[in-house]
Amino acid sequence: MMTAITDNLSVFVVILPLFIAFVLPTFARRMKLVEGLVISVETLWLIGVGYLASIVLMQKGLPIIYKLGGWEAPWGIELKVDSLGAFFLLVIVGVSLPVALFARGNLTEEVGSKERVIRFYVLYLLLGGAMAGMAVTNDLFNVFVLVEVATLSCCGLVSAGNHPRAAEAAFKYLILATLGSTLLLGGIGFIYMTTGHLNMSFAHGELAQVWQNSPHVVWMAFSFMLVGFGVKSAVFPLHVWLPDAHSNAPTPASAILSSIAVKGYLICLLKVLYNVFGPALMVQFNVHRILMLAGMVAIIAGSIRALAQDELKRRLAYSTVAQVGYILLGFGLMNIKSLTGALFYLASHAVIKSSLFLAAGAMIGATGKKNISELAGIGRKMPYTMAAFTIGSLSLIGIPLFSGFIGKWNLLLGGLETGNILSAIVIVLGSVMCAVYLLPIIRIAYFEPAPEEDWQDPGLPQKIALILLSAAVMILGILPGPVLELATRAATELLMFQ
Amino acid sequence: MLELILALLSGVAGGLTVAAMRQIKNWLRNLIVLIFSALGAFFSWRVALLVFAGENVTIAGQFAGLSWSLGPDPLGVVFALIVSNLWLFAALYSFGYMSGKQNQRTYYTFFLFSLSATLGVAFSGNLLVLYLFYELLTFVTYPLVIHERTPEAMKAGSKYIIYSLSGAGAILIAMVITYSLTGNLDFIGKVILAGSSGPGLNWLLALFIVGFGVKAAIMPLHGWLPEAMVAPTPVSALLHAVAVVYSGVYGIIRVVYSVFGHELMGQLTLGRMLPWVAAFTILTGVIIATKQDVLKRRLAYHTISQLSYILLGAFTLHPWGLAGAILHMFNYSMLKMTLFFCAGIIAEQTGETKVSRMGGVGWQLPKTMIAFGIASLGMIGMLPLNTFWSKYYLMKGSVAGGKWPLALVLILSGMINAVCFLPTLVSAFKGEKGSSDTEGGGRLALMLVPTLILAGISLFIGLWPGLLWPGVQAVVDWFF
Amino acid sequence: MKIFLEKLVVNYPFTIAVFLFMIGALIVLTKSNLFKKLIGINVMESAIYIMFAGGGNIRGGAVPILEEATPKSLFINPLPSALMLTGIVVSVSVTAFGLALIIRLYKTYGTTDARKIAEMRNEVIKG
Repeated sequence: MMTAITDNLSVFVVILPLFIAFVLPTFARRMKLVEGLVISVETLWLIGVGYLASIVLMQKGLPIIYKLGGWEAPWGIELKVDSLGAFFLLVIVGVSLPVALFARGNLTEEVGSKERVIRFYVLYLLLGGAMAGMAVTNDLFNVFVLVEVATLSCCGLVSAGNHPRAAEAAFKYLILATLGSTLLLGGIGFIYMTTGHLNMSFAHGELAQVWQNSPHVVWMAFSFMLVGFGVKSAVFPLHVWLPDAHSNAPTPASAILSSIAVKGYLICLLKVLYNVFGPALMVQFNVHRILMLAGMVAIIAGSIRALAQDELKRRLAYSTVAQVGYILLGFGLMNIKSLTGALFYLASHAVIKSSLFLAAGAMIGATGKKNISELAGIGRKMPYTMAAFTIGSLSLIGIPLFSGFIGKWNLLLGGLETGNILSAIVIVLGSVMCAVYLLPIIRIAYFEPAPEEDWQDPGLPQKIALILLSAAVMILGILPGPVLELATRAATELLMFQ
Repeated sequence: MLELILALLSGVAGGLTVAAMRQIKNWLRNLIVLIFSALGAFFSWRVALLVFAGENVTIAGQFAGLSWSLGPDPLGVVFALIVSNLWLFAALYSFGYMSGKQNQRTYYTFFLFSLSATLGVAFSGNLLVLYLFYELLTFVTYPLVIHERTPEAMKAGSKYIIYSLSGAGAILIAMVITYSLTGNLDFIGKVILAGSSGPGLNWLLALFIVGFGVKAAIMPLHGWLPEAMVAPTPVSALLHAVAVVYSGVYGIIRVVYSVFGHELMGQLTLGRMLPWVAAFTILTGVIIATKQDVLKRRLAYHTISQLSYILLGAFTLHPWGLAGAILHMFNYSMLKMTLFFCAGIIAEQTGETKVSRMGGVGWQLPKTMIAFGIASLGMIGMLPLNTFWSKYYLMKGSVAGGKWPLALVLILSGMINAVCFLPTLVSAFKGEKGSSDTEGGGRLALMLVPTLILAGISLFIGLWPGLLWPGVQAVVDWFF
Repeated sequence: MKIFLEKLVVNYPFTIAVFLFMIGALIVLTKSNLFKKLIGINVMESAIYIMFAGGGNIRGGAVPILEEATPKSLFINPLPSALMLTGIVVSVSVTAFGLALIIRLYKTYGTTDARKIAEMRNEVIKG
């Protein structure tokens, strides 16, 4: 029994949430049961992923390859749990468990009715399952299907909010995201037609030999993929849907969208770029320059836009646009340090941003005020929430001892390794701007007189969720050990991939 | 080893204790603050004695693939001693100054946190730790700057944060460049960039100087300092004349002597230009100071000018110059605290903040104005006071370093200092003896006692400058 | 030029795909009616399906069913068509979801025009 589970663990971590998602509606009238089930599934999932990650860590570079249905690779579909996959699985589970805990008993007001809460959980688990699939799949068409599942669940989560703007934002997101996935499918089509393979490893091997026969098609494939994933992961000029979607979604949804959903597409982009095209082709087609440029522009422009927002959730959403820039910049610099930095930054941003969004949601829920300027003195009334927000902000700015610093440090080292001083300047400028748009919130919350109103910290599950996430921010910053190790190894594997 | 950790923790522990006690009598809180400040000073002395005795107190470890280390050399110890002892005086003064004011709990919490952060800067054994505490210092002193909660204070606070974080960003880039050049950030007992060469080092030096120069208020990076004078007087005195600005100065001395080393600095174009930057700041700062009417702003610009004395000494790259710089760190800090303390007493007792309206104040507050007078004379560099000796060594160093015009700059600056302070002093004792002596009451005593003691110590050291010499000697021997 | 035109004609499925794709993108980006946007998305997706199916088509190839009696050497590649079945299912679900959102928006605003909805929302915020 145990070996049956451990042998098939790589597929279980994907289908467990998907399966439970479809079981949930059968308990439609029993909220407590559904919530309990979701949290226990998340816990079980965490155990499974932790086990898988520890195996990957111990195997030192050998990925776990799982053949779906027992079919051999070029014909069947492969799941490949390499360091990158294990790393991202850890991020997904590590964030989605606290967020689920935060949602507990707290959603009805934001979502509308109990039935809709259950539908929310269905979408939540579907998103998690699809993201897990994206982390481990080694098949291009699987990527497309999982991306679509994730996109639809994201749109559903955005539209779950109980106000008309949510539907509007969801429609905008749906149109743009589908545009993106259409381009993505086109890109996959080009790769398939050039190589005849959908399996990433085989496509890579074939592409390295035949790309010279049809460089234009490869170029098209590159650009379709970049734009397709770019729309979905809100790379700067293609980010227009993100602020609306993330600020109008219910709180746990905006947390998970900003922290996990955007990152899932980035991980897929990384896999396609490094595992299918390969570093050599990227340099050949100057894709790394495009990535670097897009990253730097996103850091600056996203930060500037964030500065101009007074609505708390919108400011956080634009901050996500800026932080995606760091990750892209790391992808583009193309050395071990920078990729490690980008991956670690991806993980730490996932934790930080979910903590920030949850804290923001708790504050908005308690006060009914959406704007930063109206939250004066909230730090004294809601100490737990604001403490979590402060820890998250300091980490995002990149103070040492918090997780954001390690990511930025490695990115800086990576930038200097390639002699790219400009990237270092942009990274540091981005942190200073981050301080400029986050610190005033903390100042207003702690050092301005509070109105005579009864604002209170949220309930116990919400507090635990915030504490867990803040603890994760601190632990990742002080003892990054295994996570940094996985990130480093993933970066090495990506660059050495042949 | 243990002393080091205890010295660092005393501020944090005290701050947390104060923060935890919401409903507490003021005298009890004051006692707690005093005890923990005293502990900080006590353990700093212990560390200092160990270091001067030549023992190794380093704690080092690994962090995310980077090494960190705590463990001061004589320079760090000197900085720690200056700061932690003056903290005691500032704490005493605060008890008087702050009594009856609001938000005392927040004030004392961050007051003690700042002690830890400053000692952290002093005890850091590598650039990473230095950067960490340097950045933390910005955050823990911010609530002190905006203590009054007025729009003006908020604006000053934002300016302070933006200036400091931009500086920290420059240091971060410089640090990463240093790390990618050498793979090493530890600076205790060695010079990080020893043996490197190339024109890019000028830019690296510029980044470091800009980064630390923000807190050391080198012109034109000084903009935040005069604004930050909206803070309560003990904060202005301790942080904006000593602790925070000294952390910048300390950082620059570190960069010059531990990151680049005096040999490499002498070869760099920028290294040869830096004394002139410092000279420019010395003269401009004190000239602007003379024009200020608000006493605290005048003192702020004067601080800017005096900090560059220290930098000038360090930039001469000569043992005498460095000795002068270290001496000046000791001497100037005491005098400046005295001046600020006097300004605070005048503002509290008479409500006057402007120099032009302080005529006759001397009759009301004779002891205060005597202390003010002693400190003013010290700033000019008169003989029986301690700063005479530091200026003497600064000039000796400039001449010995082959830059004799710098000595002229110092003399000129001394004259302008006289113009800056003497008229105030004279007018304070001019006019008729209006209202009678109002220097009484327990609150004023708490403010007056540290002021007078500091003035007394300055005078004492002026008469026996040899007392400080072992510390200065240790620092100079360490680097040359 | 002649060779280029010839290529366009010979590879007619791709030519059609490109035209359809551009038409779809134009609809999505320029029309403000929500239904038309959704239709545009569908047109774009159809373009991709045609591209895949055209890529899988092999001139003169037989239906890929293995017959023992009359073995053939050339088959049409069945994989792209199979993939596109999945793609169509996906696009149907996207369309269904989009329509549901349009209904919800219509119930709130009484219109399916994106510009009017934006105007009404801004008025609500101002008022």
